[in-house]
Amino acid sequence: MSEEEPRIGVFVCHCGLNIAGVIDVEEVTNYAKTLPNVVYAVHNRYTCSDPGQDEIRKGIKEYNLNRVVVAACSPRLHEPTFRRCVAEAGLNPYLFEMANIREFSSWCHPSTPEEATEKAKEIVRMAVAKARLLNPLKPLEVPVTQKALVLGGGIAGINAALDLAEMGFKVYLVEKKESIGGHMAQLDKTFPTLDCSICIEGPRMVDVARHPNVEIISYADLLSVEGYVGNFKVKVRKNPRYVIADNCTGCGECRDVCPIEFPNEWDMNMGVRRAIDIPFAQAVPLIYTINRDHCIECYKCVDACGARQAIDFSQEPEEIELEVGAIIVATGYDIYVPEEGNLYGYGRYSNVITGLEFERLILAAGPTGGHVVRASDGRRPRSVALIQCVGSRDVNKYEYCSGFCCMYTLKHAIQLKEHYGREVEVYVFYMDMRSNFKGYEEFYRRAREMGVTFIRGRVSRVIEDPKTKNLIVRVEDIALGEPIEVEVELVVLATAALPSKGSDEISRILNISRGADGFFMESHPKLKPIDTPVDGIFLAGACQGPKDIPYSVSQGCGAAARAATILSKKTWKIEPIVAVVDPSRCRNVKAKCGICAAKCPYGAIRAPQGQPAQVITAMCHGCGTCAAECPADAITQMHFTDAQIFAQIRAALQENPEDKILGFLCNWCSYAGADLAGTSRFEYPPTLRPIRVMCSGRVDRDFVLEAFRLGAGMVLVAACHLPYDCHYISGNWRMKERMEVLARMLTKLGLSPERFRVDYISAAEGVKFAELITEMTEKLKELGRERIMAENQKLKPVLDRMLSRKKRT
Amino acid sequence: MPMKLKRSETDEQLKIERIMYARQYSLTLDKRRCVVCELCEIVCPREAIQVVKPAEGEETTSPRLEIDVELCQYCGICNAICPFGALELKIDGEKVVPVVKFESFPQLIREIEIDDEKCPVGCTVCVDACPLKLITVKVVDDEGREVEDAELYPDEERLRVTVELDKEYCPVCRVCEYKCPYDAIHTQKVIYGHIRVDTDLCPEGCRECVDACPIPEVLQLSEDGKVVVNDLFCVYCGACRVVCPVEGAISLERTVIRHTPVHSGAWNKALEKLTSTKDMTKELRSRAVIKVKESVERRLA
Ligand SMILES: Cc1cc2nc3c(=O)[nH]c(=O)nc-3n(C[C@H](O)[C@H](O)[C@H](O)COP(=O)(O)OP(=O)(O)OC[C@H]3O[C@@H](n4cnc5c(N)ncnc54)[C@H](O)[C@@H]3O)c2cc1C
Ligand code: SF4
Ligand code: SF4
Repeated sequence: MSEEEPRIGVFVCHCGLNIAGVIDVEEVTNYAKTLPNVVYAVHNRYTCSDPGQDEIRKGIKEYNLNRVVVAACSPRLHEPTFRRCVAEAGLNPYLFEMANIREFSSWCHPSTPEEATEKAKEIVRMAVAKARLLNPLKPLEVPVTQKALVLGGGIAGINAALDLAEMGFKVYLVEKKESIGGHMAQLDKTFPTLDCSICIEGPRMVDVARHPNVEIISYADLLSVEGYVGNFKVKVRKNPRYVIADNCTGCGECRDVCPIEFPNEWDMNMGVRRAIDIPFAQAVPLIYTINRDHCIECYKCVDACGARQAIDFSQEPEEIELEVGAIIVATGYDIYVPEEGNLYGYGRYSNVITGLEFERLILAAGPTGGHVVRASDGRRPRSVALIQCVGSRDVNKYEYCSGFCCMYTLKHAIQLKEHYGREVEVYVFYMDMRSNFKGYEEFYRRAREMGVTFIRGRVSRVIEDPKTKNLIVRVEDIALGEPIEVEVELVVLATAALPSKGSDEISRILNISRGADGFFMESHPKLKPIDTPVDGIFLAGACQGPKDIPYSVSQGCGAAARAATILSKKTWKIEPIVAVVDPSRCRNVKAKCGICAAKCPYGAIRAPQGQPAQVITAMCHGCGTCAAECPADAITQMHFTDAQIFAQIRAALQENPEDKILGFLCNWCSYAGADLAGTSRFEYPPTLRPIRVMCSGRVDRDFVLEAFRLGAGMVLVAACHLPYDCHYISGNWRMKERMEVLARMLTKLGLSPERFRVDYISAAEGVKFAELITEMTEKLKELGRERIMAENQKLKPVLDRMLSRKKRT
Repeated sequence: MPMKLKRSETDEQLKIERIMYARQYSLTLDKRRCVVCELCEIVCPREAIQVVKPAEGEETTSPRLEIDVELCQYCGICNAICPFGALELKIDGEKVVPVVKFESFPQLIREIEIDDEKCPVGCTVCVDACPLKLITVKVVDDEGREVEDAELYPDEERLRVTVELDKEYCPVCRVCEYKCPYDAIHTQKVIYGHIRVDTDLCPEGCRECVDACPIPEVLQLSEDGKVVVNDLFCVYCGACRVVCPVEGAISLERTVIRHTPVHSGAWNKALEKLTSTKDMTKELRSRAVIKVKESVERRLA
């Protein structure tokens, strides 16, 4: 089909008023009709709706279209929808191209409709230029290993594992700690029903452990993950417990003879455990562990264990390899522990504790036997202050809301009232009370009815009375409009929820990104809240952002269902946007080259001596780094070929190039960040002409040279943040190296350094993107057309020469 | 309240603490009793105790003990081994020695029998002889009342002598036994062994060991300035070896340690270190260090 003359149909979407409210869609449509090879162009209200899609299918039939361009929203949102649509009409889905005129034009330039329309026209022109060169591609199929890995055994991970196991898939549940259970196993009661936390979680923990399809691998670390959707190879290290799991009956006789006590992390270090012990009575799996950091090797436990012979001091860490088709990440959160004396006297004053410490205090099985007492004198406090938003919603600490603190503070207030009634005064210091789920508002009312005093305002200071060890809480009471002081005997801080320790490591191993807040990023905040950008890896629970138990459980089940969409298939299709080597151009045949093999982040290329380089297609993730690095232009990335991108560049810079910023944006971070600038309606000047590549690693230096040869005012290459955010491991690093050399060269040739910019923008940095374009545009104006054109004139002959070897396509 | 590890020091004591919400530990070294021997350093299973030699330029020349707040596990082995009773472990304010309570470490047997029936009124030889001042002698009447001035008491027949000894702090040097003119004290050493000083190696005019020895009559200088050893009273603590500037000048070997019976790996290891030669002890310690290092590395790797 590619041999045929292209017959392109352009469908311009109003998106209700989202596009048509700013952009003159009629004008864009008429303009599209004038573009080469466009044989049909229409506009419709909602192209993605059923009638809209019908129109595309009809258009393909009636006008015998062999390429389709939809000018609408971001391809990150609807490219799959329209690909499916054209496929239904018998067209190869890769003969489709999207022009993003919503996020990149109508939404970010609402006050300059004319310029927005102009920009939309050029974006369509770029899309048509690429569409003319599109080739049909066939999705690749890979076999699927019908097993799953669930990382993290909190309530979210447990539910995900159970659901998958029930569907009949084998599940490996890998937990870092000695027992599964997560934070829920540390809690006393749960809001809003106040049922005992371990009583409802315990049975689930046992269920998952007993399930014939689940294998729990606890006290283990994730070491590495290789492969791709359907075919992950996972390495896990089982840490030595010095107790042989199969022989341990969980009787605890060893613990009873062990002389050594050390702080129990599970009890927030408020109480102790023995050097051989389990973290809490309901631990699953029920296997004792010796902590060699504390053990004095008296071997009393060995004697006590006796004939069972479960204790083995010579155990070594063991590495195991698992093969799975899908991975669910459920690594939860950690609690913010204020640094010594830093916030409200925590660490300095002994009667200031965190919410999680309070849970352990009031829990009957906790270190004080369920008595809420003060550390300073062991007495029961007659007044307690519960301070909210400690570290959360604080631009100097953690900007986000930690979600569940309002509710657990209410819970603590009610619990105190239930336990001690009139004998305790409870004050809650809050900023806003967030109780917006089923039964939560009623819970709030219950607390008020029980006589809890609510004081609205941010606490400025907590000071200790050195004699009584009581605490004086200073707050600006918003209701009264003046500062007040309240003296209490115990202060409980509702501290922020943080991404769990080691999240950075996990994000690197799995190649999934984290937002500005450090929690793992979903693929799309609305439509793909459970998916990660990596196919086959899903998120569940608080690792994606603070959430309470019901929400974590639902997400666990959701992730199981998402994983099952892969596991239930024998084979999985992967996008054919892979790299292909043209053996006739590959230098490696004659000289030793292998640059591509060295630069590929996935080791997907082999370049044996004397032979052309070879791409192992199933391992190629399609970043295109090799295509940009290859000195002989022997590598092509399908769907992002040199010819296609050159066509986009030329289309973008056809008119008034010196007024424009040509931007190469990587799909996962900077393009998504730009999308976010659009969705958030951050306005910036309409100077940018964007070209989407999968990875910034794809940006060939020739692209930049060509842009300047054609007179571009500025060129921007935007990537994921260094060091670890790149979705292709290190594509951004390769780009950085390449561009640094290029920038030096261009400056030497007389280009003002401001005109070539490399920047890093995450999917969450919509503001930064808008600011960047605004700032660049200002610089562009500052430099002035004259100077730019003069520079260009000087540069052109050099660049002409440099690019002459490129085939003119 | 986060867990806290604390260290505080005065002229009289060095104290480390582990303060948790529901449990508090302390280990106190009584510097007045500590003779800075090597025993606790040798037996500590976590290498938390170290004898620190003064740095050059420091005022004092005598070594001191340092206890590492992070390494100490509050097991109480040091408390159990110290012949001078200089270390004291407390949990929630009460004296306990967990390793002894759980029978994973023995107690030293201080066998001291005093037959005060034999003591005549007026004799205080043992009180004066005890280098650590642990003995009190009292004269009481038949009703048990203490009599201050026995000579003025009308009826000598009704007087009796009582001898009390703070056993907890006694290393059993046997000086009192030998000095007692009435054969009223019988003791058995806690630690038996040999000690030799190779005077050929001693630097001119050096008397470090003589000054360090807690029992005055064990090491003495002869007229020609050479060190003379009296094995009889030696408690084999090793304080002399700690201060001796010449490697190998003092050879000290412990052969028997009298202790309550236990079956414990920790004790076996301690015994191995205590009774072997200095080099061997070093070797055993460094092996333990390597093991710890390995396990830490394994964890971090
Ligand atoms: C004081 C307090 C009170 C609360 N009270 C309530 C309440 O009453 N009701 C309510 O609905 N919610 C409550 N919550 C919130 C509740 O704790 C969370 O909603 C819930 O625990 C989230 O579950 P999770 O499985 O996502 O994460 P977690 O419970 O954090 O579990 C994560 C698991 O993953 C493991 N893990 C972490 N990293 C790794 C790794 N790298 N490899 C392998 N495993 C790993 C962890 O060890 C852990 O077992 C409270 C929270 C706090 C702080
Ligand atoms: S060997 Fe270690 S774990 Fe076992 S009883 Fe002794 S101190 Fe406890
Ligand atoms: S560098 Fe990127 S595109 Fe090239 S083979 Fe490797 S993964 Fe594929």
